[in-house]
Order: sequence, then structure tokens, then C-alpha cells
Amino acid sequence: MPAKYMIHAGQTPDRFETVTKSGIIAWEEGCLKCAVCVKKRCVYRVYEKRGLDALQMVDSVDNQCMNCLRCVQGCPKELIHKSVSPEYKALGDEYWSAEIISKIWYQARTGKIPVSGAGYPGPFSGAGFDSMWTDMSEIVRPTRDGIHGREYISTAVDLGGTPRHLSFGIEGALEVPTPKVIDMPLPVLLRVPSVGRITPNLISGWAVAARRLGIFLALGNEHINAAPGTCLSSLMPVVEEESLKCSAYPGTKIMELIMREDTHRVAEMLKTIKEPEFISVRIPVSRGVDDRALALAKAGLSIIHLEGTDDGRFLDDPTKSIKDGIRSTHLRLVEAGLRDAVTLLASGGMAMAEHVPKSLICGADAVFVDIPILVALECRLCGRCGEGLPCPVKMDKAEPVWVARRVVNLMAAWHSQLLEVMGAMGIRDARRLRGEAGRAMFFEELDRSTFANLGKTEEGCELE
Amino acid sequence: MTLKWRPVIAFFYCQNIPEGGWEERLAIEKKHKGAVRLFPIPCSGRIDGVHLLRALEEFADGAIVATCPPGGCLNFEGNLWARKRAETSRKLIKSIGLEGERILIVEGTAGKSLDLMGLAEGFLQKISLIGPSPVLYPKDMPPGTGVGFSLKGESVHDYC
Repeated sequence: MPAKYMIHAGQTPDRFETVTKSGIIAWEEGCLKCAVCVKKRCVYRVYEKRGLDALQMVDSVDNQCMNCLRCVQGCPKELIHKSVSPEYKALGDEYWSAEIISKIWYQARTGKIPVSGAGYPGPFSGAGFDSMWTDMSEIVRPTRDGIHGREYISTAVDLGGTPRHLSFGIEGALEVPTPKVIDMPLPVLLRVPSVGRITPNLISGWAVAARRLGIFLALGNEHINAAPGTCLSSLMPVVEEESLKCSAYPGTKIMELIMREDTHRVAEMLKTIKEPEFISVRIPVSRGVDDRALALAKAGLSIIHLEGTDDGRFLDDPTKSIKDGIRSTHLRLVEAGLRDAVTLLASGGMAMAEHVPKSLICGADAVFVDIPILVALECRLCGRCGEGLPCPVKMDKAEPVWVARRVVNLMAAWHSQLLEVMGAMGIRDARRLRGEAGRAMFFEELDRSTFANLGKTEEGCELE
Repeated sequence: MTLKWRPVIAFFYCQNIPEGGWEERLAIEKKHKGAVRLFPIPCSGRIDGVHLLRALEEFADGAIVATCPPGGCLNFEGNLWARKRAETSRKLIKSIGLEGERILIVEGTAGKSLDLMGLAEGFLQKISLIGPSPVLYPKDMPPGTGVGFSLKGESVHDYC
């Protein structure tokens, strides 16, 4: 059994005051001057430690408030009100919600699993990954010594295809060449996000984080030089078809090709490339993605990357989620008996830790994480950089060491959550989670099987 | 190194003002790049004299507060208290020798929209006429120095 994979996280403070949900409105006017004021009774001593960051105009009373609402309920003159902070409301967009962003900040700061308290106040079901629920039926007791204890749960996955069968000679020697795979300890790859102002410091930090985690960082040609030379083996250069032949990245293990033209020409072209040994081919998740993936698999390509939009949808159909694309591709490959010959990578809309196991259940081998590695650096996804306005968190001033530590923390928190989910599902190996749809329930399917026959009477069925 | 002074204002506004949306905010930021620092607040009653005074102390030549129309506050009397506090702060700055006009409070009018961009521009013009705040740019210091400029010559405009 290989050594246990551990990610060592450490507290890495924010550079700027965090935007929190809380917005306290309290006024002194009309105060009865009670002997024991609710402000003095605050268990977190928020009012006593009050301070103001004048440059950012952030009041510490908002950042330290834990939303217990004792002061709001307790003031006899009802002088304290609570509201959602307008800065919090302005965070992100519909998909990358303020809640997701603030949870990523917490994880990047502490490296710990965010705990939201008892109960689940959210909606019953939603779009995309929210319409599938993982089966936690194996939770029968708390594990004896936690997720990092004696029970061994492996999150390692392989990149690269494996043969359908092995054949041996008369003397028992293996006749087929040993399959070559890359063993990755986490089913996650980092990818340079398509949004934000990317500086060499960020690339450098992300590359160091990828090396420390033992995973890869996918990055375009323009960013390669910004990564430190020691991290070369953790890089995954992304190239266009036109520049494939003239690109050489000695020291890298894997490369990605953005496929635009027909399958066979690409397959022939890739056969001529000797280095790096592994080449992933990126195709967009759009109508007919399963057919295209099957054609690539038949042509002998071993790593296929399905790329969705940043909000986890089909490129040509915003009503369809990337999870449907992954699932249909996986099932098509299973039907054709080619699933083990191919590694499926998925990207687009991976915003929360739960999206990793959910993508794996749908049939991906590993996923790309892009925007969260930027949000981990306090990015607010406000889009100001795109408009030429100054960044509210001065992203260009972020030091590579800090960047690396924040991303390692985020991945440590995601790794812990993956272990939790897998433990609860009774799965001890991430490779076995792939396509394990029996460990999940899909809302659309449940809805159909429960309500589709409503109002219809079957022939020969007698009502009592 | 001589750096030209440009006025910077702190603009506080209640989030419940219908014109205080994200698009309007971005439009102002784009047009005035750093000269108008916008601070949406949960209710104008949240504003405290400390907010206004610290803004004047740290980076702003003037501070403006926009509130809901009288009787239109979601928290019933937030805008009334905001007015009182702004007026108290104005008296305070006057007592230390600053121009009282550096603090302005604007109430909305029921049934009429509040033009945040117009307000910001009007106030910027007014502050340009009044001149640099002696708190940020003391008269006995050479040009290009003072709180308004850091050692590297960065202006407070670099913050957003």
C-alpha cells in the first residue's frame, strides 16, 4: 500500500478585509442606557473590539459578527437591525454565488472544511450538479479516528489508457507492453482561469502549488516562462493544432491539444509526437460530444478533456449541464467497450468540493479546477479588471509563496471533503467512484419515475 | 516630482436606493477612475460620524451621503439619523478649521429618481473649487507628498 497522501495546510491570512454577509445597522439615538446593554452581552465581544479599516471602509463589527442575532432580539428599544451587506450581494454572479465565493475564501484561509451548522436551509433541488444527490448510506458511525485516521481511502487516479486485456506467452511472460499511466494523488488538475488579470506571480504560485500537491497545472504558451524551472514536470502546456509541431516542452510529462479539426488527422499528427508521452485532447461539451469522444477513443487517443462553460453548461445549449455531457460520454464509451482505454477529464463550473465526487460519479476520471484557484486569492469576480479598473484586492501584488499556500489550503479542504464523501459512500478508492451512478440519485430520473405516470391509468389496472 | 492634485470623494449611499445598482456603480467607477470611491451601505442609518471623519482623514477631500426620501427608509428612521450625524460631523470639521462643505448629505425625493452620477460629479466640482484637503496635503509640505501620495508617488486614486 503506498504511503498515505496528506496535504499539509496552514493558516494563511487574507491580505484585505473579507467581505462578509453581515451588515449591522445600530444607532445610539433613543438608547435607554440599560445597565446591561445587549452590546456588552455579545459573546463574541464584537462591539467592544470595534474598529474601522478606513481605506476599505470595512467595519470590524460586520466581519466578526457570527449572526447569532442575540443583540437584535435582545435590545428593548429595537435599535439594532441586521441586513445583508451590499458588498456581499455584489459578489460574483448567478452561478458563482456570494456563498460559494466566501466558502472558497474560508477554505483557502484555513485549509479546513467549512461547517455551516446543523440542518440544510437550501433548496431541495436545483440546476446542474444540484440536481444530483450522493448516497451517504454508509454513514453508520463516526469513523474511529476521523478521515485522516487509520482507515485508508485512496483519492489517487490514473491518467492514460489501459489495454482491454493482457496476453501472456507460453512461459508466462507478458506479451503486450506494460501500460503507461500517470499516477495522480488527487482527481484534480489546476488550470489557469479564463477570467481575471493573470500575472507571472500567480502562475509561479500556482505552479508551485501543483508541484506540492503532485498534480498538474494546465497553462497556455504565453504563461510557460513565468513558471519556475523546478516545476516543469508539474506543468501541462496547452497548445493549438497549428503550433503543435513547432512546440517542444522538454521536461513536461503531459500536454494538451485544443482540437478543432477532424479526428483522424489529429490522431495521425499525435502519433508523430514523441515528447511528452501523454497528450490530452480538449473538445468542447456541446451537442454530440459523446460521438466525438467515441471517435477519438476509436482513433486511439487515451486522454480526452471535455470542456464546458465557466458556469458548467454546454457551450451551445445553456439549458444543459456539463454533468449530462460527462454522463452521456461515459456511457457511450462503456457501451462501446472502450471506457478503460480512455481517461476522461472534465472542466467548467467546478466551484465546490462536492463537484469533484459528483463529476466522478457521472463518469469523469479527474476534473480541472480553474476559477476557484483565482477566488482563493481573494478575487471577488467583480470583473473590474476586464473594464480596466483597479483591482479591489490588488491581485498584481500577490506574492507567489502566498498564492501557493492559499491554493494548497483550498485543495487540502477539498481533499478532506472528498474523503468524507467517499467514506460516507463506502468507497475506498477514487478509481472505483468513476461512473458509480448507483451511489447517487438524479432528480430528473426520480421526478420522471415518480410523477411521469401521474393521471394516467394503465390498461387492465383496476382501481380499488 | 510634481504630481497634480485631483479631488477624491467618498460616496456613501443606501443600498435600497433603486439607482444604487451594480451597473450604475460600475459606470461611475469607469468614468471617474478612483476619484469617486463608492461605499454602498445596508441603510443610511448605518453611517456614523466616524466613517465620514476617517474617510476625510485617510483619503478623501470630501464625503457625500445619499439617503432614501423622508419616510421611505426600510428601517423607518435610518435616513433621519444619517442627516443628524452628517450635520454633527460637519460642525466638528468646521470647529477644527476645515470647510463644512466637505461633508454633504442628499436625501432622495419621493417619486423622483436620484442621479448618483450627477451627484458625484456635482460634488467633485464643488470640492475642486474648495481645493485640496489640508488634512491630506498640509501646506508646509512639498507638492507630491502628504497622506494623499505615498512615498512611491502612488496617488490614493490607485485604490478602488
